[in-house]
Amino acid sequence: MTMRITPETMMGTSLSKPDAVPHISVRGVSVDFTHAGQTNRVLHDINLSVERGSFASLIGPSGCGKSTLLKVLAGLLTPVEGHVLVAGVAPAEAARARRIGLVFQEATLMPWKNAIDNVKLLMEVAYKSMAKSEIADRAAEMLRMVGLEKAALKRPSQLSGGMRQRVSIARALAMDPEVLMMDEPFGALDAITREEMSEFLLDIWQRTGKTIVLVTHSIDEAVFLSRQVHVMGTGPARIIETIPINLPYPRVEETYSQPGFAVASGHLRRLLKDGHGRKVST
Amino acid sequence: MNTTSCVGGNTNGSSSSAMASTGANPSNTAWFGALTGLMPALLLSVVLLVLWEGISRIFKLPEFVLPPPSSIAHLLLTKQATLSVAAWVTAEEILYGFVLSTLVGMVIATTIARFEVMGRAVYPLMVLFQNVPKIALAPLFILWFGYDLAPKIVLIVVMAFFPVALNMLVGLRSTDPNLVTLLRTVGASKTEILLRAQIPNSLPYLMSGIKIAITLSVIGAIVGEFAGASAGLGYMIQFASTQMDTSLVFAALIEISILGMIFYYAIEYLEWKYLSWGPKL
Repeated sequence: MTMRITPETMMGTSLSKPDAVPHISVRGVSVDFTHAGQTNRVLHDINLSVERGSFASLIGPSGCGKSTLLKVLAGLLTPVEGHVLVAGVAPAEAARARRIGLVFQEATLMPWKNAIDNVKLLMEVAYKSMAKSEIADRAAEMLRMVGLEKAALKRPSQLSGGMRQRVSIARALAMDPEVLMMDEPFGALDAITREEMSEFLLDIWQRTGKTIVLVTHSIDEAVFLSRQVHVMGTGPARIIETIPINLPYPRVEETYSQPGFAVASGHLRRLLKDGHGRKVST
Repeated sequence: MNTTSCVGGNTNGSSSSAMASTGANPSNTAWFGALTGLMPALLLSVVLLVLWEGISRIFKLPEFVLPPPSSIAHLLLTKQATLSVAAWVTAEEILYGFVLSTLVGMVIATTIARFEVMGRAVYPLMVLFQNVPKIALAPLFILWFGYDLAPKIVLIVVMAFFPVALNMLVGLRSTDPNLVTLLRTVGASKTEILLRAQIPNSLPYLMSGIKIAITLSVIGAIVGEFAGASAGLGYMIQFASTQMDTSLVFAALIEISILGMIFYYAIEYLEWKYLSWGPKL
């Protein structure tokens, strides 16, 4: 893996002047699920905002509704109350305008297609008038960006879990979205690969300047990657606190052993335990 | 019906050949390895044949009761011309019937998956119809379609389309919902999702349905010939047994088995060649 996190790229892209209007804003959002005639509130009065080019994490225990919140942000789910704006419009509209890229826990690749054809997939569907060669070029460029140019012709089954997830990220980036929304993208990977992928993701973030919203249940991952961590609690799910992570970028392996890292992750851990303890119903 | 309950129904009870599909390993083992793997089975076959030959000789069983393997083999060699003609007739019935039932099954599954209302209309009827003992329909088909190819093909389709339709439907519905979500977010239509994601995803499942269908097709052809025919291996078995020519019955039986195996392994080969990416079903 090539690491190209340098102060220059940082200054050039993601650390540019913060926008006055947040890239993503969520005001008073609640979501109910009805199952077998019983209505449960899965999200309650959620408020948060994410600046353009920022890296925000949603962290919380299993079943706290963080994935549900991400679905709301991605326009896949409509809240019963509240307002969501992504790049100034409703999430569903932003999604239609291809401003939102999605990455799931599983790479969700087509097993019958090789890596590059998987990267082409969304472009082929979305840009019917785009020339085949243009799509192929862009797919190749995206694979190069995620460091998989040599694996272009390999099927998902021939790739490791981390590599598959890179293909999935390349597929999302190929659409050039403004926001990358990731639902526990490294949750299925082993510890070492997770850390590698974290550094890789930061590298991609610095180079592309996308806004990234990450759902995770890993405290270390949240602290290592994010600028802000939104801590969620259960019963009903809400945001307990939003913590800025003031560790300097680029963040590398040594970041894990910095005192600031320990302080932030300790604070997060306490919040999560408290939030979990107050669990009433699911 | 949700996907999970569908998956449970995948190994549907209509045939025992679902077992065979799990036993066959579509990995690229060398022929030599495959051969040494077959050695125990070959040895056992030889032992059984020798025993059979010995028993029929020692007890001097009349040939119309249990002919020794040697006289069956003799018949296979001397009467091969007649047997081949009969085998060809049956092979044609199997092939046409099998291809048609596969097509019918695929169309039904795709229609059910694409048009929800069609699914609710067709699926229950299909399941109901599955409970009709189709063999009992053979005389009807003879009555309606005559003694030639047509009634056999109809009988085969009626017997074999169901596992194809059911397995393919499971495959169509087991498409990763996140993948469908992704396609939807970039504006893919239902038909496009079907063509790009669901149908490719269903192919390994379809294949396991097809493997059940081919065995049912062989049975269908033979039953069809039993019900009324003037040629074919099934007809030959029936004719030979009325003549007490038990050796010929066995010879025809062996030819049918060979025919069935050729069809089965041809399909297995296609699966190995084109669907190696799929889940092992």
